[in-house]
Amino acid sequence: MPEVIVPIGPHHPALKEPVNFKVIADGEKIIRLDLDLSYNHRGIEKAAEQRDFIRVLPLIERVCGICSHSHTTVFAKGIEELMQLEIPLRAQYIRTIIAELERIHSHLLWLGVAAHEIGFNTLFMWTWSDREAVQDTLEEMSGNRVHYGMNEVGGVRRDLTPEQVNAALVRLPVLEERVKKYVDMVNNQKTLLVRFKGIGKLSKEEALKYGAVGPTARASGVDYDVRRDDPYLVYADVPWNVVTDTNGDVYGRTRVRIGELMESIGIVRYCLENLPEGPIRVNAPKTAPKGEILSRYEAPRGELVHFIRTNGTDKVERVDIRTPTLANWTSVAMCLVNQNLADIPVIVAAIDPCLSCTSRITVINSDNKKEGLINFDVLRKRFRTRYQSPERP
Amino acid sequence: MIDPITLDFVREKIQDIGTAEQVRSNRIRITTTPGRIRDVIRSVQELLSCDRLLTISAADNGKTLELIYHLTGSHRMVVSIALELPRDAPQVPTTSDILPPAGIYERQIHDLFGILFQGRSDLKKIILNEDWPENEYPLRKDWAPDPGTFYGGIKGERV
Amino acid sequence: MAVITGSLSQRLVNWARVKSPWVTLFNSGGCNACDIEVIACLMPRFDVERFGILVKGSPRHADIMIVTGHVTLKQASRLRRVWEQIPEPKYVIALGACGASGGVFHGLYHSVNSVDSVIPVDAFVVGCPPRPDEIINAVVTCLNLLKEDIAHGGKEWRQTKGIKNSKNTTEIREVIQ
Repeated sequence: MPEVIVPIGPHHPALKEPVNFKVIADGEKIIRLDLDLSYNHRGIEKAAEQRDFIRVLPLIERVCGICSHSHTTVFAKGIEELMQLEIPLRAQYIRTIIAELERIHSHLLWLGVAAHEIGFNTLFMWTWSDREAVQDTLEEMSGNRVHYGMNEVGGVRRDLTPEQVNAALVRLPVLEERVKKYVDMVNNQKTLLVRFKGIGKLSKEEALKYGAVGPTARASGVDYDVRRDDPYLVYADVPWNVVTDTNGDVYGRTRVRIGELMESIGIVRYCLENLPEGPIRVNAPKTAPKGEILSRYEAPRGELVHFIRTNGTDKVERVDIRTPTLANWTSVAMCLVNQNLADIPVIVAAIDPCLSCTSRITVINSDNKKEGLINFDVLRKRFRTRYQSPERP
Repeated sequence: MIDPITLDFVREKIQDIGTAEQVRSNRIRITTTPGRIRDVIRSVQELLSCDRLLTISAADNGKTLELIYHLTGSHRMVVSIALELPRDAPQVPTTSDILPPAGIYERQIHDLFGILFQGRSDLKKIILNEDWPENEYPLRKDWAPDPGTFYGGIKGERV
Repeated sequence: MAVITGSLSQRLVNWARVKSPWVTLFNSGGCNACDIEVIACLMPRFDVERFGILVKGSPRHADIMIVTGHVTLKQASRLRRVWEQIPEPKYVIALGACGASGGVFHGLYHSVNSVDSVIPVDAFVVGCPPRPDEIINAVVTCLNLLKEDIAHGGKEWRQTKGIKNSKNTTEIREVIQ
């Protein structure tokens, strides 16, 4: 590799924030991966120890922009369990509706980004345009398109009026039609199949061994979904299915996510139609008793774990957040070994990283130890030309 | 999905190397010492069929540093293995060879708490920036930023 | 109203710059919500590409830089380096509460509290995250600033008379002669 240092730059708008990993490659084949996550470290866990239960929720919400409701729900439900508080049923239904709407918009976002990685910009535009319907619903219900602020310890902060419920129910069939079109596309369209099949394959044993979670693990046949195995909110009462696949590669992960889209639309419809009457919150005590709890949640990207410890005051003593992307990075590192350099964009995008892809990848040629930096755009172009060449089967 | 494991079953399997208690309907907590952690993890993997590591949590309770490993398996019980470390020399053998996902959590805990995981050579920074000074562990309770130290970023005023 | 003078090629360049600025996006650590809203601007709902506003990857192709997120210690020096590579005339928009003062992350141990302490900012946009409409408004404000700067022959007129060139809303302050 030539010793040209390409300056760090915002790579492409479709990829979110920067993570740096060093790829050690032998020619075109990757040998090993080194990781550096410090671009995004903000020190939230330390700050959460100094804020009381009302003020800490906006901070926890902003751990991630796409799965913000997941973080507040898992935190609030952990604290409520430590306080032995039972929140009203209507609040649980509302939390579930927002959670599933968040899952829908996150998977549509991912589908667009993955399509963009392979150069299929039409699908990128279509999915993000469908996503706007979900964003409108969320905005009507909560007031903001992102960072809804619906949760508090003790319930939810805003109620759903009948007009909002009807408006959401009207939008759902349209969304369902569009998603059925994507299901059809994934099953039959040749461009998608060729570029996704066989890349980034993770077998079931490897998925278990390296701790993959979420759709990445379910695509390899690992039948694990926190909504069914450690039920919370109303998932035990609503009819829905866990979606798994046996392919294990990027194509399998696409199928799992699209399957989950259909399931989520069904859950939202059921909850909206069967929303019980009643209060939306209970008065929570100011302090939480001493204890520790492991609170789990199925975020759109996988299993989110908050380990919370309280000490009798109105602040937490320790909150330890393990995001699903962190759990999936080890499996990405493993499934990139012996793949081609040009496959990096799609494989990394396929785990749907939340602290995401790189702005700059350092490639170290293992023979002559020269370092060079490649911009992500260059890698993506390589990926596309490789798959467009006639020799590729 | 196999049947959930019971507290008595756990106690029987790990009787010499730790003590167990049931903290919730689906979580069992085992307390052990740093020297025995590798044996406990191996027993939990083989005898209790826990094949997934959820996370490794670390906490500072003012007097000692605590490490808690959470594992689960197809029986859906969570087994938490807790141990305590002294503040001045926190060292524990690494488990990243028998439990591959542990590697990334160990690096993060080392950056934030200063716990040394013996037996691995690549414990470099993963989550703090490259200019962060050595021996400053932000998540310890007794740490506060020192105004005179440079922690990274840009030196001096902007243009 | 000042008259735009100069050679034909200069006037052509000025016209093109005002009509279709190219934007580069820099995420300086943060929760990514602002990035998603910027990308939502490109999508068929808001669709800024029909105005010729493209989001480019390289800073060397850009007129306007949008900085999202609150600046972490790691990204501070990189942000400065990227900003230095943008050719003049350049404008910086800092999105959201994080760009103005650090937002919810103000005062945390791994943060530089405001984009303004690393690079000079021309427009701040309020919101957490700001809506795509507000982001487009900020880009248009920068275009107005560009027009004014061209009429005055550069950016220095904003720095004379002690007027700061950072703004807290999307209004433009008059220069007091």
